[in-house]
Amino acid sequence: MFEIRTRRAKIVLQIVMTLIVIPFVFPLWVMVQGSLSGQGWENYAIVLAVPELPQFFLNSILVAAATIAIVYVCSMLAAFGFSKLRVRGKEIYFWMLILALTLPEVVLLTPLFATTSSLGLFNTPWAVILPIAALQIPFAVLIARNFVDGIPDELFDAARLDGASTFSGFRYIVVPLTRPIVAAIFVLTFIAAWNNYLLPLVFLQDLSSQTLTLLPQFFVGRFSDDQTKVLASAVISALPVIIAYLSLQRLFERGLAAGALK
Amino acid sequence: MTAMSTTTRPGAASPPKAGKTSGGGPRRRRRSLPNGLPWILPALIVSVGLLYYSIGYTGYISTLKWDGTSPNPESVGLDNYGLLFTDPIFWTALRNTVLFFLVTFGVQTALGVFCAVLLHSRIRLAVVYRVLIFLPVVLAPAIMAPVFRQIYAAGGQFNDVLGFLGLGFLAQPWLAQSSTALPVLMAITIWQWTGLNFILYFAAMGQIDSEILEAARIDGASNWRILVSIIWPGVRGTTIALAMLSAIGALKTFDIPYLVTLGGPNFATEFLGTFIYRESIPLAHVGYAGAISIMLLLLAIVMAFIFGRRRNSEER
Repeated sequence: MFEIRTRRAKIVLQIVMTLIVIPFVFPLWVMVQGSLSGQGWENYAIVLAVPELPQFFLNSILVAAATIAIVYVCSMLAAFGFSKLRVRGKEIYFWMLILALTLPEVVLLTPLFATTSSLGLFNTPWAVILPIAALQIPFAVLIARNFVDGIPDELFDAARLDGASTFSGFRYIVVPLTRPIVAAIFVLTFIAAWNNYLLPLVFLQDLSSQTLTLLPQFFVGRFSDDQTKVLASAVISALPVIIAYLSLQRLFERGLAAGALK
Repeated sequence: MTAMSTTTRPGAASPPKAGKTSGGGPRRRRRSLPNGLPWILPALIVSVGLLYYSIGYTGYISTLKWDGTSPNPESVGLDNYGLLFTDPIFWTALRNTVLFFLVTFGVQTALGVFCAVLLHSRIRLAVVYRVLIFLPVVLAPAIMAPVFRQIYAAGGQFNDVLGFLGLGFLAQPWLAQSSTALPVLMAITIWQWTGLNFILYFAAMGQIDSEILEAARIDGASNWRILVSIIWPGVRGTTIALAMLSAIGALKTFDIPYLVTLGGPNFATEFLGTFIYRESIPLAHVGYAGAISIMLLLLAIVMAFIFGRRRNSEER
């Protein structure tokens, strides 16, 4: 964008950019450094030895995987239905979904609290999975429908002419061709499910059902004021997402960017 | 749906219903399609079903005086809403939300545009900068909260840094004072979300025609002039989208104020999210929380409507 002619200007811009980045790295540095003070690596050994830890991990994986599966299936089927099939009052249904795009999850708190307890879903992963999926589906349907709209109708007509069922059209045309948009949906849903705090906080009171985002608070209770252990636990919880992002950098950036441009 | 598609459509495959319509080709084509309702049903049940049920239920609860568990709640009509409008905490939360939106959006936009321009200018190690700025976007606020609580504590690293820079006289217990707690939460939010603004601006700037930039440069336009007259108008669509995202984000704010300051001190960092949470769970004023929830929902819809219109008029 900018044209930088002189060597001096180049160096100045490089320094400016580095200065801007420092505050972004600083909290991460504090986190790692704090987790290694006091007993050093011993902090990690103590945190990793806490028997509940694997359960927190497993619960987070379960919640994320189930949410992604539900969102994927629902949004793909719906995108195909909205885009290529006949639905009476189609746009009304579509707008009902779109209206839910801006819904803040905290609004769901009171009704879900009453409903989950009466349905016996309290302390089960479903109390978290279903609301997150419900909140993610509208947007997933929106971007998936836009994508399927771009697939020519002739493809489906030709398949039908050859005697393919509607499901085959979905299975052999929609599923393979929508891969790029599916990647975005996966990333968005993963981040939404993995990082969610409010729903697990309210609906997962039982220790054996809790997810990773509740871990630092759990350790605040467990190790009272030993901040080094709390920070070690924060590093451990942050690590999977950091690794996922670093290895799939472009995918994450594109996916989350798609999510911003509703 | 073009004329082409109607000519390729096999006439034999159309059900008898299609014959009744005297309409044009596209219409007949649609009639011949399989019914899509079963396909959209799962999404409608999980999403529309759960969300609209919840909203309806919240609307009903908001007319009750109820603790959430007692078997016979008392109906109070619209009293909860009357109570809400005279509740100073509600107005504090609203004021905080507006301030929060204005500051975080302003700073994130400025930083995002600036970083995007710099990284489009053949700077070295661009990928490293890009990853470091974007990384906070993927980290859960809940995981980072203990870190920020420590950094901004009276004996925390932020005051250490100030001392190191020779600004030790500015050191203070940032989270323990009404005047500084909200700005700290803004700083945390800016830290978290600037990466997203940056990535979006970076992508939008890639779409700007490089010939226009070159023409401007040949005409002697300075870098600053190009930024103001070509780049900034060129990314307007992104700016409006981000304004909407920030506004909705400010309305939704919960994790950071809840975990870092608990809405305090003295409600200085109260947001609608923390307000609803406290009223509904610890205080068990479920009916009142329902009324706040409905207000929050209305605000979110109004916000989306305003920005949506703005964007549509922009696209036209």
